[in-house]
Formats: sequence, structure tokens, C-alpha cells
Amino acid sequence: MSETTRLIWTDDDLLSGLAEGSDKALSQLYRQHYPMVSHLVVTNSGSAEDAKDIYQETLIVLYEKVSAGDFDLHCQLKTFVYAVARRLWLKQLSLRGRSPMLRSAPMDDEPADDVADDLAEHQRRENQFAQMATSLDQLGEPCRTLLDDFYIRRLSMQAITEKFGYTNADNAKTQKYKCLTRLKRIFFKDYQDDDDQ
Amino acid sequence: MNANDMTAFENTLRAYSRRMAFKTKLENVHQSLEADALLPVAEQRQPMRALWNIHRPTLAIAAAVAIMTTFATIILYRSYQNSHKQDQQYGMMMRNLAVIQQTQTRLMNNIGGRGRVFQQNPGQVAGSGFLLTASGYLVTNNHIVQGADSVYVQSQQGVVYKARLVHTDPQHDLAILQIGQDTAFHALPPVPYGFDARSSELGERVFTLGYPREEIVYGEGYLSSSTGFRGDSAAYQVAISVNPGNSGGPLLDERGNVIGIITAKQTTSEGATFAVKTNVLLNALNAIPADSLKADLLLVNRKGRMNRQSRKQQIKQMENYVYQVKVFKH
Repeated sequence: MSETTRLIWTDDDLLSGLAEGSDKALSQLYRQHYPMVSHLVVTNSGSAEDAKDIYQETLIVLYEKVSAGDFDLHCQLKTFVYAVARRLWLKQLSLRGRSPMLRSAPMDDEPADDVADDLAEHQRRENQFAQMATSLDQLGEPCRTLLDDFYIRRLSMQAITEKFGYTNADNAKTQKYKCLTRLKRIFFKDYQDDDDQ
Repeated sequence: MNANDMTAFENTLRAYSRRMAFKTKLENVHQSLEADALLPVAEQRQPMRALWNIHRPTLAIAAAVAIMTTFATIILYRSYQNSHKQDQQYGMMMRNLAVIQQTQTRLMNNIGGRGRVFQQNPGQVAGSGFLLTASGYLVTNNHIVQGADSVYVQSQQGVVYKARLVHTDPQHDLAILQIGQDTAFHALPPVPYGFDARSSELGERVFTLGYPREEIVYGEGYLSSSTGFRGDSAAYQVAISVNPGNSGGPLLDERGNVIGIITAKQTTSEGATFAVKTNVLLNALNAIPADSLKADLLLVNRKGRMNRQSRKQQIKQMENYVYQVKVFKH
């Protein structure tokens, strides 16, 4: 079945689409659950902007779980999204010093333990990525751009060689390795993660 | 630094880059969906309503308490006003004799049977009154004779006459008595004062005679307002010092004309005494049914004889026409 003719998306379709990085699947998924999360946040003293942030973070959790390939949905996708969004908003409220009291009750068939695990994992990654961002900021040029180009923009080694004016790809590879080592040192200088020890 | 570590770190960096890419993608999706109006617009009124819902029980209780307090206060205030204000502010100037219990030397000396009435049973309420005509019609306040079993009047010399209640005007607090039928009463010379129905000017010097005690007492003051208590147009406000017992006494101007009858004073303010206007009295006299008068004419003197007399002469002439009214009640 071609994506262009697809009218009804099942949860599985959406998730596999999401894992493959399909824009259509993401767009569809985004539309499907946005009203629910938006309502949840806005009725519990949040703004439209808060709703957007919470929804996107929820989708990030979902995306990273799907990407890891171990996603085993024990409930409806909707229930999962609601459970995650609800917990994220509760956390956000308590961070703001507001009373973490929601009028919206959790759904009945919520896989509470699974979601708690997922969120713990999400939190760990969040710390890791925050550290990564600061480390990248401290790295300095040209390493920063080089790593950006290779890992984030996913340029080929050949393109990088030309862009930075290295004599050959091996040279560029060595440079990249050196930069990565430096980044790693900065990263672990003040970052402790139990899982990486 | 081993290769495994390096690979793990590289993976972290890759995951980070994926996260960044996905974030950008989400942002793009959001913007394109928003541009196509496919995302519902969040209601702005919701937070307010949520707040309202959370605090509704508290608010309901607070509102209930506030309403109850308000009404309780109003009711208390109203009942207080009804029960006290009138009495406190508007004191009728009658004298309660049962409380005073004075010895009446003059009456005890009186060998005639009349004095004994008072010895055995002193009047319960007393006020003042004065003659309208030489034939024995008196005017006094209705609140003095109200509910009376019998009414006696006592002259300045101490002579007691039995009085008959001819007419009352409760609205203006006036009562007309007649002593002309008492055999002991002898017609006096015509009354020296006139009844001036015209409205008097503010600042008019006025004086009164009355019986706040067993002796006749003179008091003087001035007309301070052309309306009485709470704007009552049937009365004057007079700055004159009166006491219980002055009720029913005449209020005269400098030329010796009766311009009013002392009725009451405002107890909450100093020097506010009220007197019913003479024209109200004259209207009341006209309203008396002819039957009540028993064919005696009740024609009052319109012009007095004391116009150019000194105050002392005026008082001397008037004394005989001002009586103490004593009332017996059960």
C-alpha cells in the first residue's frame, strides 16, 4: 500500500513510519494526538506554548523508544501518549513551584510501570544531551563544525575533506578522531553517569 | 581509552544528533500544521475556569457566610432601630409621677375632698396644658392623656379640677380637654394670649411655661427650624430647654402669641425641642364634632393682649392659664 493513498493509519503503521523517519507518518501522528495533549495542558493552568513543548517532548520519548527498536506497545498508542504527557506536565508544574495537582485523572489501562521506566530513561538521556550540548559549545573551532558536519549534518568524509581543505579523507578522519577524543574528554570531565561507568 | 568507550561515545553523539534532527522536524511539522489550521486553537478561558472549579467549594462557603452575615447584620440593625431609635431620639416630655413620688404639701393641706384623690393615688403621668378659652377648654398632648382612666388638671394655685376629654388628634399629638363642667371652676377673664396661625420666622425669640415639677417653670429660647423631627412640617424645632412635664405647654413669641405646643425633644442632640404649630391646633379644633362640644362654643382668641408688655408682666398674666395635667391609668 503506497503512503499517498493511505487514509487510515493504524498505531503500528504510525510507529513504523516514525521509526523510518517518514514525514507523512510524523505529520499524521502529530495531528492525531495534539488536541488531547493540548487540552490536558491548557485545562491544567498551562498555556498553548506549554502544550506544544510538552507534546513535542512526548513525541521525542516515543521516537527514541521506537528508534531503539525495543518498542512493545502494551496499550493503545493514545493511552501511552497521554500517560507520558501527563507525567511530563506534572513534572513541569512542580519545577515551576505550582501545586502538582491535575484535574485530569490518568487513564484506566495505563501501563504505569513501563511509562515510569521510559521516563527514567528519557531523563537520563536528557541529562546526557544537555551535557553534550555544553561540551560542544566548549569544544571550539574547527572541531565543533567538523563534528557538526559529520554527525549532525551527516556530510560524507569526502565532502568534509573538501570543505575543510584537508589533503585527503584519511587526514580528515584523523582530525575527526582527534576532535572526538577532545570532546569526549570535555564531556566526561564533569559528567558522571552510572550506566557508562 | 579503549575502542569500546569510543564507540559508545560516538553512539551518544549520534543519538544526540538524531534528537536534534527530530526536534527540528517536529518544529517544522508543527508550523506547517498550524499554517494549514489543522491544530485546534487552545481555549484561553480554560485556566480561569480550572481555577474556578478548584476553588468553587471554598467560594461557595465564603459566599454563604457573607450573605448570612449581611442579612443578620441588617436584621439586627433594623430591629435595634425599631425598638430603640424612636424612643431614644424622640423623647416625649411627660413626667412619670409614680417614679418621682413627691410630697405635695399644698394638696395635703387642702381640706376639700379633691386633695385626697392625689394622696391616695398620685397621678401616674403628668404634663402641662393651657386654656384655649376662658370657658374652660384646654389643650395638651395626646401622649399624656392616652389610655387615661381619668384626667385632672391642677392650677398654679393648687386647685384641682376634673377634666373631660373632648377630642384627640393622635397624628399631631394633640388632645382637647374641658374643665368648664367642673362645678369648682369659675370662668376666668378672657385669655391674655392670642393664637397666631401664621408661620413664625426662624430666630423668633420664644418662651414657654410648664410643669416639669410641681411648680410652674419658665424657659426661653428661639425658633431654630420651621420643621420638626425628621422634617415633620406640622411642627417647629425650638432651641429651648425642656424637661419631662413640659409636654403640652404653650410656646409663645415675644408679642405673647401662642405659636405652638411643646411636644417632645430629640434626646440624641442638644437643644432640639419640637412644638406642634398653632395652625395645626386650629385645624384640629375645627375638626371637633359639634356633639363633643356640648353646645359650648370653642372660639379662640386670635389677638392677644400682651403685645407691648414686658416679659415679666406676660408671665404673671399667663400663669393662671397654664395647668398641670395629671393622668390616672391602670
